[in-house]
Amino acid sequence: MKKIIAFLLAVSLCLVFASCSKKSSDDGNAPKNAGELNVFVWTEYMPQSVFDAFTEETGIKVNVSTYSSNEDMLAKVKGSNEGIYDIVVPSDYMVKMMVQEGLLAEIDLSAIPNLKNIGESYLNQGFDPGNKYSVPYMGGLAGLVVSKAKAGADITSYEQIFDAKYSSSIVALDDFRAVIGMTAKSLGYSLNTTDDTELAAVEAKLAELKGNIKLLDSDSPKSAMLSGETAIGFMWNAEIAICLQESDDFYAVFPQEGCYLFLDSLAILKGAKNVDAATQFLNFILRPEISKLVSDEFPYLNPNTAAVALLPDSYKNNPASNIDPAVIANGEYVLDIGAEVEKYDGLWTKFVK
Amino acid sequence: MKQGSMFRKKTVPLLTMISPVTAWLILLIALPLLYMLVISFCGTDDSHNIVFRFTLKNYAKLFDPTILSIYSNSLIIALLTTVICILVAYPFAYIMASTTPFRKTLMMIFLMLPFWTNSVIRLYSWRTLLGVNGYINILLMKIGLIEAPIEMLFTRGAVVLGMVYTLLPFMVLPLLTVIDKLDGGLIEASGDLGAKPAQTFLHVTLPLTAPGIFAGSIMVFIPCLGYFFVSNLMGGGTSQLIGNVISRQFKEAFNWPYGAALAIMLILITLLIVKIYTKTGGSIDDLGVM
Repeated sequence: MKKIIAFLLAVSLCLVFASCSKKSSDDGNAPKNAGELNVFVWTEYMPQSVFDAFTEETGIKVNVSTYSSNEDMLAKVKGSNEGIYDIVVPSDYMVKMMVQEGLLAEIDLSAIPNLKNIGESYLNQGFDPGNKYSVPYMGGLAGLVVSKAKAGADITSYEQIFDAKYSSSIVALDDFRAVIGMTAKSLGYSLNTTDDTELAAVEAKLAELKGNIKLLDSDSPKSAMLSGETAIGFMWNAEIAICLQESDDFYAVFPQEGCYLFLDSLAILKGAKNVDAATQFLNFILRPEISKLVSDEFPYLNPNTAAVALLPDSYKNNPASNIDPAVIANGEYVLDIGAEVEKYDGLWTKFVK
Repeated sequence: MKQGSMFRKKTVPLLTMISPVTAWLILLIALPLLYMLVISFCGTDDSHNIVFRFTLKNYAKLFDPTILSIYSNSLIIALLTTVICILVAYPFAYIMASTTPFRKTLMMIFLMLPFWTNSVIRLYSWRTLLGVNGYINILLMKIGLIEAPIEMLFTRGAVVLGMVYTLLPFMVLPLLTVIDKLDGGLIEASGDLGAKPAQTFLHVTLPLTAPGIFAGSIMVFIPCLGYFFVSNLMGGGTSQLIGNVISRQFKEAFNWPYGAALAIMLILITLLIVKIYTKTGGSIDDLGVM
């Protein structure tokens, strides 16, 4: 009897392993013919309806794999053979890193006429001048959300939230580049500054902020605002938009000093097996009605102005979703600052100890 | 010839029996640790790639006053957690050991049931209880004990509470094992010989259950050093533990060598604690549940 059970266990174990290995080959290791496209994208970022529409129109099958951080994606792309993935969606600084490492292929912009739909303020950015390697997909920025009842209606700048009267009443992103960047901005510096005198001033300023921070939370900073735990929040605009929907007590502030911007871009990997299909896909995504499909499901900041025109009023009238182009023009993208990031890490370690 | 048959009879079966485990240990534990040890002596270039050139600078950075204070903060929180766990778990385990089998099973179920839910989710429920507008504050204000809500969440106390809550079963289980084995006759004898209950406890019960206290302490203290998500969720991330610093090196600062050095240091501290435990008479087998 025991032997039979052991045998059955062994067989089922084999089956489990067999099914695992099959699954992993489905993830993208199986040989692909010319009629397929392998897209590697963030989780919860590109709806299935978009892939289905593309397949229906072109007959090209789309295989999707997902990742949840830029660093994850980079590690997987570097760790796998060329041609496993055709399209990736890196954020701004990661585009630059990947270009520097020679991982991205130049895009034939003449085959992407729909690039004209993208707002002027999202094109030709420092991380990819001339959009040689990437076209904008979705973006966002970090700003402030304030409770009128708890913190008053007169907050307009970063400078104000360093005031000691807001002791232990701020929720901020648990993101050292964002918080240190915001502090640098409040002093009028670049959020990518590596200048030692400027960073010394930032360190002193951070010490002022420390007492005002009640908690750091990147996963769901809006909850602290919605539960009344904090009076001021420093978070991504999508989270601010939800706060504004929930209560009239909240208002959004995108300070004059300039906001931390991010822009996720579509890019084609060097060695992609199906460059034509990939280019076609990029052009397809930039169509207004397709880009609208994405925004319907995932309401990030849509850089596609033609698509925004198609979106409902709930998007257009929310100042934290449909962001004033002047705010974008005034903002700054975070750059990869190489080994200098150690200085930021040092500041942050002191800040959170 | 004789040696050959010995090899077939003893060594071959032994190898086939232990080699899967050995291979498992080498592949999944020894090699990754070795890799960490190697990169902890390396640097990084401007694209954050690891450069294999020997340097001690990662270890030199460990002696930065900020890092030292984070290590000591982590140790203090772990120590507090362990002491509170002992004070709570000891009576709990004692009652559990001396009650009827039915109640004992019931208590065991209540102790283990929460493990079926992810601890992060359970900590989130503490947040709804402890918040400024949480149920505890609402209740206290309703019955008029306090005027304004108390700030309970996002304090060091909340971190310790979260740690105690998450790790308490690891203290109860080893204590239960030793208290269960306690010979009732010895306690009776102590009473017959004129010892008061307090004396019996101090001179008989406590020494006999000390191995359980030691084993439980190790099993609470060590994970405590690494549970950075508790300090994130309950402490609001503003008084971070060494685990937070390590995880940031790998996920945000891209400085794997420095992260590796910090982690190696933590491993050394852990080994030192286990060494002290075995030196003072503790047995590694008692930590089997780990």
